[in-house]
Amino acid sequence: MDIISSLSILALAGLIHASFQLSVSVLTLVNGHALGAKHSQQRALRLSTSFVVGATIMTLLLLSTLSLILLSVFVYEIPAVAWSAVCGLMFSVGVAIWIFYYRRSEGTSTWVPRPVAAYLTGRTKSTKSSIEAFALGMVSIFGELIFIIAPLLAASMVIINMPASWQLAGIATYTIFSILSLVIVWVSIGSGHRVSKIQKWREQNKYFLQFIAGGGLIVMCFYLYTYEVLSSAVLIGGY
Amino acid sequence: MGLAVDIVKHNRLKGHEQFSRDKLHASIVAACLSVRTPVGQAESIAHAVSNSVVDWLENKPEVTSQDLREVASKHLESHHPEAAYIYRQYRITI
Repeated sequence: MDIISSLSILALAGLIHASFQLSVSVLTLVNGHALGAKHSQQRALRLSTSFVVGATIMTLLLLSTLSLILLSVFVYEIPAVAWSAVCGLMFSVGVAIWIFYYRRSEGTSTWVPRPVAAYLTGRTKSTKSSIEAFALGMVSIFGELIFIIAPLLAASMVIINMPASWQLAGIATYTIFSILSLVIVWVSIGSGHRVSKIQKWREQNKYFLQFIAGGGLIVMCFYLYTYEVLSSAVLIGGY
Repeated sequence: MGLAVDIVKHNRLKGHEQFSRDKLHASIVAACLSVRTPVGQAESIAHAVSNSVVDWLENKPEVTSQDLREVASKHLESHHPEAAYIYRQYRITI
C-alpha cells in the first residue's frame, strides 16, 4: 500500500473513531456543569482543553501500544489471516454499531451500562480541576474501547506496514482525525455557543452518526480485505 | 416551613431523601447558567419554577425523582425552553 493510500485509510479510521460519542457526551456535560456552577468562561474552557488533551494522549497511547504489540508479533510481514481477522472484527463491530450503539429513547444515551453512565455523569459534575478533566478525557476514550478497538487495530496494522520514517506521521494523522469531534465542541464552546445547541444537534443527528460510524467501518473492512487479502491471493495464484 | 415529601431516587435503587427546595432551586439555576443566562434572570426563573413545583407537591407524601424532574422541566419550559431542554437531558446525555 502506498503512502497516500495508507494515510487516507488512517484518516478514515480516525474519522470513524471521531464519530463515537462517549467522549463528546462527557465533554458536553463537563462544559454544562462548569458554566452551571458559576465558573467563568475561561475556567470552563480550561477544563475542556484539559479534557481534549487527556483524550488525545489516551488515543496516542492506545495506538502506539497496539502498534508496538503488533510490530513485535508480526516481525517480517502481516499474514493474510491477521488481516482477515481484523476485517472480520471491523465488520462485526460495524453491524453492532448499527444495531445497538444508541438506545431507542430520547437524548443521546448510548450502549454504556446505566450505572457506568450515572457514574460518568456524576464525575462530570464533580470535575473542578484541570487534572480531573484530563483524567476524565482519558477515561472517556478508554471506556469506549469495545468499539474503538476496531479502527484502532486496523490503523495499527496500516501503520506498521508503512516505512519507519512515515510511522509517526501515520500515528499523528489518526490521532488528529480521531479528536476532530472533540475539537469542534471545544471550539464551539470557546466561541460562545450554547451547550444546548450542541446537544440538540447531536440528538437530531444521532442516527446519522450511528449510520456513518457503522458504515465507515464496513467500507474500510471491504477495502482492506480486497487490498490486503484478495489481491495478495490473486498475486500468489498468478505467480 | 419545608414540605415533608419523600423523593424516591432512581426507581428505589438509591433509597429516599427529603424534598429540598434549595436543591431544586440550585439545579434550575445551574441549568439556566449552563445556557449562558444572566445570574439574576436564572435566580428569578428558579424561584418561579420552585414555587410551581412546591404547589404541585402539596398533599403528595411521596414522588419519584423522575416525576420531580419532569414537572420542574415542564414549568421551566415556559420560562426558558433551552434551559428546560438541558435540564431534561441531564440523565440521558451519556
